Amino acid sequence: MTQSLKLYVRTADQTRRAELDLDGASTGADIIQAAVDNWALPADTDYTLVNTTTGRAVAPAEDLARSVRPGDVLEVQPVLVAG
Amino acid sequence: MQDPRRTQRYRRHDLIDWFSQEQVSAARVAVIGAGAVGNEVVKNLALLGCGTIDVFDFDEVELHNLTRGVLLRESDAGRNKAEAVAERARDLDPHVMVRAVPGDFWDTMSLGRLHQYHCAIAAVDNFEARLRLNQLCLIGRVNLVNAGLDSRWAAVESFPFAASDDAACYECTLPESAYARVAERYSCGGLRRRAGLERRIPTTVITASVAGALAASMALRLGGEAPRHAQRRLLDTIGGAGTSVGIERREGCPGCGAFARPPRVVRTRNRWSPRRDDQSVAGPGIVEQPMRLSDPLITGYECAACGPLEEEARYVNRRAAEFDDGIATCPKCAAPAVRIEIRDTFTVGELTARFPGGPVPAKFALAEINGDPVCFDLEENLGK
Repeated sequence: MTQSLKLYVRTADQTRRAELDLDGASTGADIIQAAVDNWALPADTDYTLVNTTTGRAVAPAEDLARSVRPGDVLEVQPVLVAG
Repeated sequence: MQDPRRTQRYRRHDLIDWFSQEQVSAARVAVIGAGAVGNEVVKNLALLGCGTIDVFDFDEVELHNLTRGVLLRESDAGRNKAEAVAERARDLDPHVMVRAVPGDFWDTMSLGRLHQYHCAIAAVDNFEARLRLNQLCLIGRVNLVNAGLDSRWAAVESFPFAASDDAACYECTLPESAYARVAERYSCGGLRRRAGLERRIPTTVITASVAGALAASMALRLGGEAPRHAQRRLLDTIGGAGTSVGIERREGCPGCGAFARPPRVVRTRNRWSPRRDDQSVAGPGIVEQPMRLSDPLITGYECAACGPLEEEARYVNRRAAEFDDGIATCPKCAAPAVRIEIRDTFTVGELTARFPGGPVPAKFALAEINGDPVCFDLEENLGK
């Protein structure tokens, strides 16, 4: 049986926020893609995910079921390439 | 005897209990990129009295740079950015050694040279340069600070490669989409795309100054102990909010995952000549030893319709990055039918046969010898 995880996802500027029931098989990249699609985030930007509750970055292929706890807040942050 | 003007200059710094002017004055920092962030980083390092600052950039100053370049003036238009920035930084503090290194840092920063620095700061404007500097610092075990920005956000990451063999690298959290952007600029596995569109990201001096301040602080490890783990700070320069997170090493990371531990760097003369197997320090079978070069090379050039081309000699055994995909058009039949073979992995025997007497046109070659990762530095002559 797949375990469901309730957590929160937001953008870095905190203008968008959602409560999420996470499928145990989801990865960091899945969350980012869902955020880009559902919130129409700029497609010409790359994004990374951080867990603000634990204070650690989430790797793209990371299995969230192993690293996220119920109630954690994940933040979708832009990857900044300009200098 | 200490120059009294120097003592006077840093007197206020000496009143800060967590600030060591002695440590800052001994620091040697490489700043890669003299754009918006690079200007701010160099300005901050110079004013802090950082001992040695080397500024790397290939680009020339354009008028639109002036809104974000605290060290640039209108009269600098057309000059190399590194030279203009270094000259102005020397004016800020004559006790600081500031040197300009014009040119692409991939050509001017050898592993030997990198070892001279306590830290390298990535203030460049594209993923490819950040990936390359990450790779160099990872191999050379030199601390890396990576600074980026857009019109609102400033992000600075520190990767303490000198302090820990287990530190995460820049690629540990990099999304697949970033690699896709790098790939958009290249075709055939290494040739630059002629028609590639450069993405221009608008920025202001507000975000540049925040990123530059944080980058200089993290490079000099101001206000605390040297961290042993990678960190990222993201700051909203409008609202003031920010996050600070740790970055853990990712299993299978395309950057640091290639080595169980950083490779031992072996300096070479990059001269290749046949020798008997049993004379080699690496033992018998060295001829079959595979090596992965830092730079993919063109190994074949032939038109599918016309067959072998006399232009082959112009391209084969040269770095693929030297050329764009225009060379895929056959000079005989004008069709885009040239088959270009590009490789980055060769055996020692192949390299010896291709480059008798040397040099191999690459920065370094990676190999695993007797289970140990080894990096052969092929640019000894650049280690100045």
